[in-house]
Amino acid sequence: MEEQLVELVAKVAELEAASAGASVTNTMFAETFYYLTIPLMIIIHAGFLAYEMGASRLKNVLSSGVKNILAFAFMIPTFYFFGWWVYWGFPTGLPGAPGPAGISGVEYANAIAWGWGDSAQYMGPNIADQASGVFFGAFAMFAATTASIMSGAVIERIQTVGFIILAVVLGSFAWVVAAAWGWHADGWMVTQWGVHDFGAAGLVHAVAGFFALGVLINLGPRIGKFNADGTANHIPGHNMPLTVVGLMLIIVGFWGFLMACVIVPGEAWSWFGDKPSTIYGTPITLSALSFNILMAIAGGIIGAWLFTRDPFWMMSGALAGIISTASGLDIYFPALAFIIAFSAGIILKPCADWLENRGIDDAVGAVTVHGTIGLYGVIMLGVWGSGYPALQGAAGEVPTVSLFGQIGAAVVFFLLGFVPGYVVSYILKMCGMLRIREGAEIAGMDLVKVPAAGYPEWGGEAPVTPAHPAE
Amino acid sequence: MFPYDEASWSVVDGAMFMGWGGALPGFTTFIAAVICVAVLIIGQRSETAKAKAFDK
Repeated sequence: MEEQLVELVAKVAELEAASAGASVTNTMFAETFYYLTIPLMIIIHAGFLAYEMGASRLKNVLSSGVKNILAFAFMIPTFYFFGWWVYWGFPTGLPGAPGPAGISGVEYANAIAWGWGDSAQYMGPNIADQASGVFFGAFAMFAATTASIMSGAVIERIQTVGFIILAVVLGSFAWVVAAAWGWHADGWMVTQWGVHDFGAAGLVHAVAGFFALGVLINLGPRIGKFNADGTANHIPGHNMPLTVVGLMLIIVGFWGFLMACVIVPGEAWSWFGDKPSTIYGTPITLSALSFNILMAIAGGIIGAWLFTRDPFWMMSGALAGIISTASGLDIYFPALAFIIAFSAGIILKPCADWLENRGIDDAVGAVTVHGTIGLYGVIMLGVWGSGYPALQGAAGEVPTVSLFGQIGAAVVFFLLGFVPGYVVSYILKMCGMLRIREGAEIAGMDLVKVPAAGYPEWGGEAPVTPAHPAE
Repeated sequence: MFPYDEASWSVVDGAMFMGWGGALPGFTTFIAAVICVAVLIIGQRSETAKAKAFDK
């Protein structure tokens, strides 16, 4: 009997040691999982950099790049200073009351998200906290993505500092409010409307796309974009291959973006001990993402190719394919994801043309690809996913996805993007900080903003990219 | 500067950055924010001046 007890105690000790080891392994896995999403999402930024430099004319190529790089650089500290606090502070709306999950509200945000006082322990190196930094990093990259989306739309005529201010308002405030409301277990749109936006079609892409629209209205078109009779000219960028490769890099980075939308199991902050979940605590697997992202990319490319035959729109179609299915990448059947993405690829170019015919000069189609298709994706989930539980919990106690809820969310995302974009750009315009002076725009912004040449061997003999009447 | 009573890593069970528990984190956060704003102000002034040189 005594021997058996000794054996039992030894066995328990062995199991406890193994359990502690497994726990450390899981914690390292969880930290590494999110850590690796960060460089993957930086690839999104590299893609946008190539994309918009390629879409710029020779005289503006470097200034477009500088603007994009600066947006990335300013997004990170401003998200550190206050963006992270906004996300945790206001999921239940104003005035920032705590929500049922106990991880929201101004008091909670004050305790974990300021870079001073006691909360600073969660905003810097901490041996007992292997989550805050990688979560902050992933969210900061989401913020940088929103700024990049707006960046491409406004190339070749915006002032640098005015653009940076707009990027900060978008990346460290506007989309963060949308995320708090619709991408948090305590988000009021989730708990009250059953909103589901797994891959941020609305709260990142639509918010950024319609923020860009608000800016474009005040910014105005590039000189030479529209004729006196209102017809549009096509202003080709100087390097289509660079643009197309940039778009492909964005697609690569999307895998990190969507990977970061998954909550890994087994940690104190996880929804489950044994299975991954979405940010809402609903089931998700990386296999589900793999099936649906690939099918969506394919559907978007094929849909765009059908009527355009243009590599720019084909790769934009790939983006549109992912964005149109992003809300439901966790639950779509792959063939359905393909069909939705295919339809998004088809409507892409007509939507962009519609906008252009109303005098909006969106140099890279960002409003359409991210804004319009983002909202299309949010609503499509309402069409196909109604009745699915939107949160983890018992039947009858949790809200379900509905068309009404998704349409309501689409309206909120539109307003959260468009209103601040329009208002802040209007203020900047009044202050003379929005648009570059006419002489500088005609000469080329590289001459004004950058003490370097994109293609120095061409010098003053560089060909001037003409504006062609739209076909 | 070591934020714990004993100068040994074996006693560290939480925050391990310089200035933890004091005013340094808040002070440096404030200075970093001021730098961002100052750079924007300087950048705006210099870019406006350069752009004016291209006025007809």
